[in-house]
Amino acid sequence: MPAEPPATGGYMVAAYVVAGTILLGYFLSLLRRAKRILKQRER
Amino acid sequence: MTGLSGAAPVVTLTRARAVVRRGIIISSIALIGIGVAAVLALGFTPIEARQGLAQKIFYLHVPSAWSALLAFSLVGIAGGLYLWLEDPRLDLFAAASAEVGVAFAAVMLTTGPIWAKPIWGTWWTWDARLTLTLFLFFLFVGYLALRAAVHDRHERARFSAVVGIMGLLLVPFIHLSVYLFRTLHPQPIVLKPSAPSLPWEMLRTLLVSTVMFTLLYIGYVTIRYGIGLAIDAREQSDAG
Amino acid sequence: MADGLRLALVIAAKDVRAELRSKTALLSATVFAALVLVIFNFARDPTALSATDLAPSALWVTFAFAAMVAMNRSFTVEREHGALDGLLLAPVPRGALFTGKMLANLAFVAAVEAVALPLFILFFNVDLSRALPGIIGTAALATVGFVAVGTIFGAMAVRTRFAELMLPVLLLPFMVPPLIGAVQVTSRLLAARPLSEMMGWLRLLAVYDVVFVTLAALAFSFVVEE
Repeated sequence: MPAEPPATGGYMVAAYVVAGTILLGYFLSLLRRAKRILKQRER
Repeated sequence: MTGLSGAAPVVTLTRARAVVRRGIIISSIALIGIGVAAVLALGFTPIEARQGLAQKIFYLHVPSAWSALLAFSLVGIAGGLYLWLEDPRLDLFAAASAEVGVAFAAVMLTTGPIWAKPIWGTWWTWDARLTLTLFLFFLFVGYLALRAAVHDRHERARFSAVVGIMGLLLVPFIHLSVYLFRTLHPQPIVLKPSAPSLPWEMLRTLLVSTVMFTLLYIGYVTIRYGIGLAIDAREQSDAG
Repeated sequence: MADGLRLALVIAAKDVRAELRSKTALLSATVFAALVLVIFNFARDPTALSATDLAPSALWVTFAFAAMVAMNRSFTVEREHGALDGLLLAPVPRGALFTGKMLANLAFVAAVEAVALPLFILFFNVDLSRALPGIIGTAALATVGFVAVGTIFGAMAVRTRFAELMLPVLLLPFMVPPLIGAVQVTSRLLAARPLSEMMGWLRLLAVYDVVFVTLAALAFSFVVEE
């Protein structure tokens, strides 16, 4: 009789949230820096 | 209407803007793709019996490690090419790749311990992949710190290239050290469903995730490269 | 070829003589090494960890940090006196310049290691009668590797604002493979293990030296070119 897999769902959620935060956070930082440097000197 | 010295930077800024725009499109597609991969992983891939749901971290952890290694290798290769060809675009690319690499290394280094804790009861293991990525992280940080500390652009490019190449050549030695160390001090075999017995659904999800992470690397580097172009254009018009 | 070598020795001798005159780097590094050894001894629980278990790590951490202090100082002194720029104006082949600087750094680090080793024997009560030649050989092998990298990184770091911080930040990852190898070989030497058990590590040290001395020598000209 195969045993129940351990209840490790919380860790999975944590990992996905952290990864998503880092990737999205970096994306936003890139966007903000791009906007700042491209916006100036627009006459 | 700006004079002759103003004409060049405006053209370059336009180009920078185009590059950034392209990068944003690629990154957005990739982020959506990663979202799809996550849905695949969470809803359409079997649960691994011994590890439970935590095993699904695998689909983030491995692709991010791959992207970090890819980023780092390209920093080293671009550096080598720069020393040979002296094309400043190579240096610009290397700088972009290093920064993006830090982001992916950070994902790997955070998902790694979060995965390890429920499986082995310990936050950190000195296994080959984690150790190597930790070193990549330190090398990236050192590389970026050096770039920030050198102000002359040619000197900065040369120094960065040297550190990049040497760092890349360090990687096999770290790998070898960890391998030698582990054969003498065997540690619990990593509980990842590795190559031979990986069910096709898991393999499929892993591949989708890896492709999307690679695309995200390309997208991010493109944006960051565009930012670099803009900074250059700005510096040139300020000076000229 | 012989000219290049002679030139390198001249450059090295100049650096060594300058350091012998001021003695600052050697003194700070030696005191530092002694302090680290003392701390290692007091920072362990003697009932849990025997001196022989801790010894190899203690020795090599000491060597590593003392070497960094020595190399750091040597470049800072040079920057203060503008010596490097003077050398660059003269038609000195870059290979000889690197070799000279590296030999000088090797001399500094070897001097610190030579002082730290007897202190180590004293504080940790290790019997080195049979292991000593092996340990000296291993020390030479490992030191050459990280001194080569330290020499080129030092040349870079000295041109940045936070040179004292930049050198360790860049150098430490590169010190890890020689350190791991050296610790593994040293602990086996102290336990009088057969040579076969150390071959893998010794080979790692040797290959590392060949690769990184060559690489550092080749890359040096890119670092000091104007």
